[in-house]
Amino acid sequence: MKAIKSIFIVDDDPITVFGIRKMLDRTVDFNTISTYGNGKLALDGILKALKSDKSIPEVIFLDINMPIMDGWQFLAEFIVLPIDEKVRINIVTSSIDPADYENWEHYNDKSHHLITFNTKPIKCSEIAAITKPAE
Amino acid sequence: MLKSSQIDPNNYLIKQLPKATAFLNKKLEVIYASDQWAEDFEFSNGKVIGKKIGELLKHLSKDLQKDLKDCLKGNIGSVIKECINEKGNRKKWIEWTNIPWYDEKENIIGVIVQTESITEKINDIPNIERLQLLIDEKSSNANLGSWQYDAELKSLWWCEMSKQIHEVRKDFTPKIETFIDFFKDGHSKNTISMAFFEASEKGISWKEKLQIITEKGNEKWIITTGKPIYKNDKCIGLVGTFQDINEQVISNKKTEENELLLRTLIDSLPMNVFVKDLDSRKILVNKSELDFLGLKHESEALGKTDFDFLNKNNAQIGREEDIMVMENGIPMLKKETTNIKKDGTRTSFLTSKIPLKGANGKITGLVGLSMDISDLKKKEEELKNLINVTSLQNKKLVNFAHIVSHNLRSHTANFSMLLEFLVSEKDEEEKQNLINMLVKASDDLLETLNNLNEVVVINTNVNLKKQNISLNKKIKSVEKNLSVFLKNKNATIINTIEDNVKIKAIPAYLDSILTNFFTNSIMYKSAERDPIIKLSSSRENGYTILSINDNGLGIDLKKYGDKLFGMYKTFHNNPDAKGIGLFLAKNQIEAMNGKITTSSEVGKGTTFNIHFNESN
Repeated sequence: MKAIKSIFIVDDDPITVFGIRKMLDRTVDFNTISTYGNGKLALDGILKALKSDKSIPEVIFLDINMPIMDGWQFLAEFIVLPIDEKVRINIVTSSIDPADYENWEHYNDKSHHLITFNTKPIKCSEIAAITKPAE
Repeated sequence: MLKSSQIDPNNYLIKQLPKATAFLNKKLEVIYASDQWAEDFEFSNGKVIGKKIGELLKHLSKDLQKDLKDCLKGNIGSVIKECINEKGNRKKWIEWTNIPWYDEKENIIGVIVQTESITEKINDIPNIERLQLLIDEKSSNANLGSWQYDAELKSLWWCEMSKQIHEVRKDFTPKIETFIDFFKDGHSKNTISMAFFEASEKGISWKEKLQIITEKGNEKWIITTGKPIYKNDKCIGLVGTFQDINEQVISNKKTEENELLLRTLIDSLPMNVFVKDLDSRKILVNKSELDFLGLKHESEALGKTDFDFLNKNNAQIGREEDIMVMENGIPMLKKETTNIKKDGTRTSFLTSKIPLKGANGKITGLVGLSMDISDLKKKEEELKNLINVTSLQNKKLVNFAHIVSHNLRSHTANFSMLLEFLVSEKDEEEKQNLINMLVKASDDLLETLNNLNEVVVINTNVNLKKQNISLNKKIKSVEKNLSVFLKNKNATIINTIEDNVKIKAIPAYLDSILTNFFTNSIMYKSAERDPIIKLSSSRENGYTILSINDNGLGIDLKKYGDKLFGMYKTFHNNPDAKGIGLFLAKNQIEAMNGKITTSSEVGKGTTFNIHFNESN
């Protein structure tokens, strides 16, 4: 299997970041993992990559509740960026608020990227399946 | 009989006759004539004797001429009325009585003529007829009958109409006893007896509205008058009238009853009723409307307009409605209106205005019906508030459920994940690392539970009573508690609140609120300047407002306004921020029936206006 060039983890909870990262280490072949504490930092990272012609992430693990810029705000800005490649965005949340589910459907309809909705905790057995790059 | 003779002494005798008399011979020449006769025809006596009657009176009618000739033939003449024209075209009527004149041998030697001036009588005849007619006409049209009482003969006379009124036969002969007997027992009979007595004994006239019972047993209202007549200062009888006014009285009574019914109805209606003329002047108001206007008697409201009672703008609106209704003839139905009286009291009405048409179909004004719905409005308002509060509570509850679930789940998810790692981890160092993380996760969970518990306490603890608290005292005590923190951050608090400002609050909540807002202001201070917190207070609509203004980072309310007071929402890269302080403060403010508004400018600072409800 071809190694994934770049994975982003956007979450303000260090334990979750640690967990996802550990699971990926065990199960997925990748080149780099970048972690960001909120949406703003992640967006800045992507904009920087676009400008410097570096590779943009193929898979993004995205938390919803974050300071400064939350997951939804990040998505709103991300889906309008000039990115032709289909990026896989895995929303990872412990929220069961129907409003969040509706939001996900909304962005999924609007975007050509693959957006999935996942509830915590993510199991080791599941992580490989949701880290396959979008086709 | 007088002798036929030319002897003057005869003439002298006849001359003196008291009645106008003339003796004519067969040639109808005047032989003798009384002075009265000459006078009646305005002849001078000397010129009469020997003259032919035809010469003296030029226009004798054919009837008279024939009658005179008939007398000469021995026929007794008839009475002939003859008209002669006097000077100035005045007509003079003369009645002629002619008889043959015989001598001792019963030979006809001429005609004896007696005349009488009847001009006055003739003129009177049509007058009397006319008067009679007039009286008959009047009495039947006005249902007015007359009566006369002759005191000497003790006889009573009723005219036709009087008999009709009493419903007796035409040949009925009234008597003075029956006259009084016709009146209804009680007031009517007593009154007429007294009136009759006073008229005959003291000469006092009467006019009374009384009831009679007719021959047929019908009760009737009449007006009866009576007046004594005198001859030589002696009362010789009475005259008077009966007037049948039964229909008027009955219809008046009916009208009165109807009016009373209508009045009772509109006065008992639990709504304001008013009738206005084209100039919007009140021409009828009911009791409710009077009560609303604060008046005692209808007369105080009549002729006045809304401008006399209501605030000018309010009255103008009403006037415009009136004009619309009266010009277009289309009723205004069940419109919600608010009337503001001159003293400022407001009343909510459900008002209908209906055009009022006169008998000719033209609009003459309007009828207004206003139902006071102030209570209903108040209840509606209360209900709305209650619904708002309930739905707010419900929203908060759902929100809280999500918060609880989300926060508990995120921690348990971490536990579950870390434990999964731990089970399969071989490396001892990594194991220790995982255990440390589990401890941290456990601490976090405990803190979250504490926070959530605090929220539950705020929202469920109804036993905590609000107290009157001096705002400045509380501020000073919080400032003191935070003094080290404030000093470390170089923070300044500028307080312009008067010492006498008191608010109603739960002391513990107020402590927490002040602490949270102060620390919030300092936590999000600008890196470029030392924090300055300005405190001021004001009052508005039943709230005492505490304004906390800082010169910190500020926040884009368009982006984050709805999340500002959310749990675990933080907006700046601040490691100390937990996203719980404002969330708790808001819950505490709302638990005290207060509210909070925010204004902010990024880079300049933020102002929180905390509204403390002044009521309990």
